[in-house]
Amino acid sequence: MIHVISASNRHLYEDILEQHFRIRHDIFVDERRWETLRKPDKREIDGYDNEDTIYLLALEGRRVVGGHRLYPTAKPTMMSEIFPHLADVRGFPSNPLIWEWSRYFVVRDRRDGNLNLQLMAAVQEFCLSEGIVQISAIMETWWLPRFHEAGFVVAPLGLPALVEDAWTMAALIDISQDTLRGIRERTGLRSVLQQTGPRLDAVARANRYHAQKATLRKIA
Amino acid sequence: MTAVEYGRDALDFIEGLNGQTGVPEAMNALERAFCRFGFETIIVTGLPNPDQKFSQMVLAKRWPAEWFKLYTENNFDRVDPVVRHCRNSIHPFEWSEAPYDEERERGAAEVMRRATDFRMVRGFIVPIHGLTGYEAAVSLGGVDLDLNARSKPALHLMAMYSFDRIRRLLDPTPHLPLRLTQREREVVAWASQGKSAWEIGEILHITQRTAEQHLANAARKLGAVNRTHTVAIAIRNKIINP
Repeated sequence: MIHVISASNRHLYEDILEQHFRIRHDIFVDERRWETLRKPDKREIDGYDNEDTIYLLALEGRRVVGGHRLYPTAKPTMMSEIFPHLADVRGFPSNPLIWEWSRYFVVRDRRDGNLNLQLMAAVQEFCLSEGIVQISAIMETWWLPRFHEAGFVVAPLGLPALVEDAWTMAALIDISQDTLRGIRERTGLRSVLQQTGPRLDAVARANRYHAQKATLRKIA
Repeated sequence: MTAVEYGRDALDFIEGLNGQTGVPEAMNALERAFCRFGFETIIVTGLPNPDQKFSQMVLAKRWPAEWFKLYTENNFDRVDPVVRHCRNSIHPFEWSEAPYDEERERGAAEVMRRATDFRMVRGFIVPIHGLTGYEAAVSLGGVDLDLNARSKPALHLMAMYSFDRIRRLLDPTPHLPLRLTQREREVVAWASQGKSAWEIGEILHITQRTAEQHLANAARKLGAVNRTHTVAIAIRNKIINP
């Protein structure tokens, strides 16, 4: 199952989150060589890991085997702060109903396709349940056909560019019942999500940031 | 053109692809778009496994007929260094970047040399790697090309979306494994034995209407037009045993 972990229920998952930061370091730094993410304590944590981040982590028992995270675009995001040039044709989103999807990973011994489809179903299922309408992503371009194959509707925001020797692009992905239905029919799975403990109302929270920003603009 | 102009044109082309309702129209749109970069040939194709024929893997093409004949008759795909490099690369590349040993790999040298007779002097190829090992590519060729650091990212994205559009136009049901529920499989299995919906209902202790519903669902999932077609697809995909 894919567990939803947020500020509201993270007390139930501290060991899992810790394990996941280490796996992220193994995968994104040691394996994929994103040297800018290297940390002396071997835990890959950045500015978008905070009280607003929602993690969707695939667990086998208490072992993390894959996952990704969501972050509100109502706040500054990786796309707006680090990679705005990748979205220079259509612009990057900033909207309480759009969340940034990042740090997608699968541990080496589970890269057989099926877990990928579950992780893709998880983001669609979660966002549908929260009322999130689109997700933005900085992704390696060679993944685009894989998302297409899973029935994702992906709109590019700019042209690919090399990031750490890999062609990388910015995109906006539709959250849709059709995409989720398609993956479910093909995998035979129904719900892949598990929500334990208190839940966080993602869009309500993003709306607050949005309102704050509007107020600040008015004052200024 | 500036990088932003390349970007705007490419994204407009990509958004326009969804409006194409048939493969010939879509290929015309591809031809018009890639022609502006100087490309004269286009092929959208899966890469064959050792037991597959190249000609069966082609989704759509604008190749000189004579070259396609020569290429397939000589099984050039088995020695083509561009095909080989494509399997091992997740990044697009120019044909000239596909390595081979000119002395020892005579076949490879021959393909590259003979392609030039058909105005395929230079080229750019975008590899496609699917979720479950599916390999494909969009390969573009020509003589006088606008192929540089600014145009390549545009071509990269245009080719990937072209592949997806052509694939979906040819096969509305995606090529991921088809999954029927246990009940749908049972119902299709009985239908393959010539049982009517009423008989299937009696056998499985469900109503005729429910049996018909299961058959309809199975047909929809498999992209079948009627009951016989459903059974045929189910057998072909080993969903049921004949």
